[in-house]
Amino acid sequence: MKMIVVFEKAPRLRHIGHLDLMRAMQRALRRSGLPLRYSQGFNPHILLTFAAPLSVGMPGKREVMEVPIEGEMTGEAFLQKLSAALPPDLPCLSARPVDDRHPAPMAQLTAAIYQAELEQAPENFEATVQAYLAQREIPAVRKTKTGMKPCDLRPMIYGLTMKGNTLQMVLALCEKATCKPDLLLSSLFEFAQTPRPRALITRTQLLGEKDGVLCPLETL
Amino acid sequence: MNELENARLEGLLETVQKPARYIGGEMNAVKKDWNGVRCTFGFCFADTYEIGMSHLGMKILYYLINQRPDALCERVFMPDADMADKMREAEVPLFSLESRKALNHFDIVGFTLQYEMSYTNILEMLSLGRIPIFGRDRAEGDPIVVAGGPCAFNPEPLAPFIDAFMIGDGEDVMHELIDVIRDGREKGLSRLDILRGLARLEGVYVPALYDVAYNEDGTLRSFAPNDPAAPAVVKKRVVKDLSAAVYPENIPVPYTEIVHDRMVLEIMRGCTRGCRFCQAGMLYRPVRERSMDRLLELADKLQQSTGYEEMSLSSLSSGDFTCLPQLIQALMDRYKDKRVSVSLPSMRIDNIVKQSLEETQQVKKSGLTLAPEAGTQRLRDVINKGVTEEDLVRSVTDAFECGWSSVKLYFMMGLPTETDEDLQGIGHLAKRVVDAYYAIPKEKRSKNGVKVTASASVFVPKPFTPFQWAAQDTIDAVREKQGKLRQYLKLKNVNFNWHESELSMLEACISRGDRRIGEVIYRAWKRGCRLDSWMEHFKYEEWLGAFADCGLDPAFYAHRERPYDELLPWQFIDAGVSQEYLKRENEKAKRVETTKDCRRGCNGCGLHTWNVCDWVKNPPLKDTDKMAAPLFD
Repeated sequence: MKMIVVFEKAPRLRHIGHLDLMRAMQRALRRSGLPLRYSQGFNPHILLTFAAPLSVGMPGKREVMEVPIEGEMTGEAFLQKLSAALPPDLPCLSARPVDDRHPAPMAQLTAAIYQAELEQAPENFEATVQAYLAQREIPAVRKTKTGMKPCDLRPMIYGLTMKGNTLQMVLALCEKATCKPDLLLSSLFEFAQTPRPRALITRTQLLGEKDGVLCPLETL
Repeated sequence: MNELENARLEGLLETVQKPARYIGGEMNAVKKDWNGVRCTFGFCFADTYEIGMSHLGMKILYYLINQRPDALCERVFMPDADMADKMREAEVPLFSLESRKALNHFDIVGFTLQYEMSYTNILEMLSLGRIPIFGRDRAEGDPIVVAGGPCAFNPEPLAPFIDAFMIGDGEDVMHELIDVIRDGREKGLSRLDILRGLARLEGVYVPALYDVAYNEDGTLRSFAPNDPAAPAVVKKRVVKDLSAAVYPENIPVPYTEIVHDRMVLEIMRGCTRGCRFCQAGMLYRPVRERSMDRLLELADKLQQSTGYEEMSLSSLSSGDFTCLPQLIQALMDRYKDKRVSVSLPSMRIDNIVKQSLEETQQVKKSGLTLAPEAGTQRLRDVINKGVTEEDLVRSVTDAFECGWSSVKLYFMMGLPTETDEDLQGIGHLAKRVVDAYYAIPKEKRSKNGVKVTASASVFVPKPFTPFQWAAQDTIDAVREKQGKLRQYLKLKNVNFNWHESELSMLEACISRGDRRIGEVIYRAWKRGCRLDSWMEHFKYEEWLGAFADCGLDPAFYAHRERPYDELLPWQFIDAGVSQEYLKRENEKAKRVETTKDCRRGCNGCGLHTWNVCDWVKNPPLKDTDKMAAPLFD
């Protein structure tokens, strides 16, 4: 069977890159004494898949990984063992056992919620955000492996709301289309014609789609 | 650090390279309540996180101090150049990783001295940590700055900056030092009185309590205590029973990759071989082994607490560990299912070990490094490196048959009595290693093709070795020899690496330096020198300028052969090996005579009078017992 696990990457660890985080998680799993499964081959490693890598510099409130294990066990038992082996800034929040044939979280990923804590929000910014969203097209240029490419951000934005100094963004995150929160902020403040304030961006939830509605990835 | 500084630090982390080095919070890092302890210790490593976190001594002492309920220990590393500059600019003090406390908030600030070319980093760290650089400028409330480690055996170059040095094994003296400082602070004793209390501890040297005078020619005239608390001779500390000594059962597991990212089992301390250039071999005498039971217990605990996938055995010459084959076998059996690989970094090869190598390979293959040190048998006899060309060829042949294909060979150039023939010998040895590979039938050797890397470092004479009186080659002489070696090593399948001779020259000046070298280090740091062992930061011209500022000549320290009757700056330290023994060994070197391994019988180095060496009366090896060559390094 395999476990769908939700964990947090606390702000202190935001500078840890994806590969380093993977290694830290593998070592935690090794400490846990859980019945793990290993890859075949010359240098066997623990089977473990993160639903979506986090960029360096970004904390994650509810990240999702899939851990195949030998035999059967409850989510509570798994959670207890793994929690004991994790450092304080990398707590494990939930674990749900599913069948090996259950689709991988990575394959079901559709979007993500991000929160940007703006150092200082411009006045009456809620209205600006509304006007920004009311555009039919939002042309932008995004960096890809093959260079800078023009794109339209609008279809990749599921929602934008401003509360106090916090901008919540629901943005597409899947193989077909991904809108990085950083690109959206640049585009938004360009539209607002104000300099972009410093902001700590946190990914708060990964989302999948069920019956045409976005829902937390780990529940699928 | 206050809230404002903390916020500025968070901002800096967004702009510097590899910020993960500065965040702490690793698994097994110990964060204690500052209000719940009576003494706080800031453990400093004078190099970057990746280097310092790889160091075993720091892990031992970090664990040892944090086991005390009355004390806490937090780690402090040298920030990289970009971070150091930005911290200074933003007025963020150097801080500990655990609690982000500024360095000057600790009761004790301790440095481990691993190599001389990190000394400017000590000054940089004190400065960033808001602690007065010179001991004499420190106020009552400032931390007591202490240091230990191998380089503390010649403490004089750092005497102006360090309040107290711990000489020898740190496990016991560290507790005594913390007790004295804790009690002294609680009783409200003056700094001077606390230092006097420290000077009364065996193995502790307090430089302020000693006076130095020089002859007109610059040599040392006298060195004597100026205070009744200070002993004339400071005797190194020795932990007699390694199995009973504290060893970490858990170690911080870094998030970001470090140089040696694995568990380390220190299987023994000390070395019996008696190589005449090797300072560690003299300083860490006598040999003490950890018991198999203790090692396996520690291995299990470390494996469970770290989750590391690799374990290495550490010592000066692991191949000499009495129960090595049994230990390797036991570790392999234990960890095969847990996918832990065991690597043997400091090894010799003989028939028993060959079998172990085959087993090592089953789990994970690691590189092969051999250290013949010198190119001819004559010179190897001079340095008492008990290894022959046949040993080397046999060892690499064994390794090639086991599937190895790349070999690193370590040599030194500029050893006493070296001639051109010895340099040619290095080329000859490299060639023989390549030939050994091709002598193996194609189907039995690796398909990767053989790769030999020969590295030649520049010999640096070190205190407490038989070569402590020797002159180092001048930079010009070294360059000429490097040029020749390049010619001799222009061979197919052979690469040649060499070291910067300027760095080795400065290392020679500092390692055998006196108190005046402290002023040179200070001037060099003032001129912007730091992170000197990183080539991109090394400023040789500034170092020369620093010597000139102080009216001192590097050649006096590095390139001058010292007479036996000269008073040496480190002579007041009793390292166990006697000056008489070192002279005897130096004379034997001149006569190209070797000295036997002390497991074959006591050579009377001095430690036999200390009652710490179990093998004085019962040498474990008979003359007829075969011993393999100490090839791996």
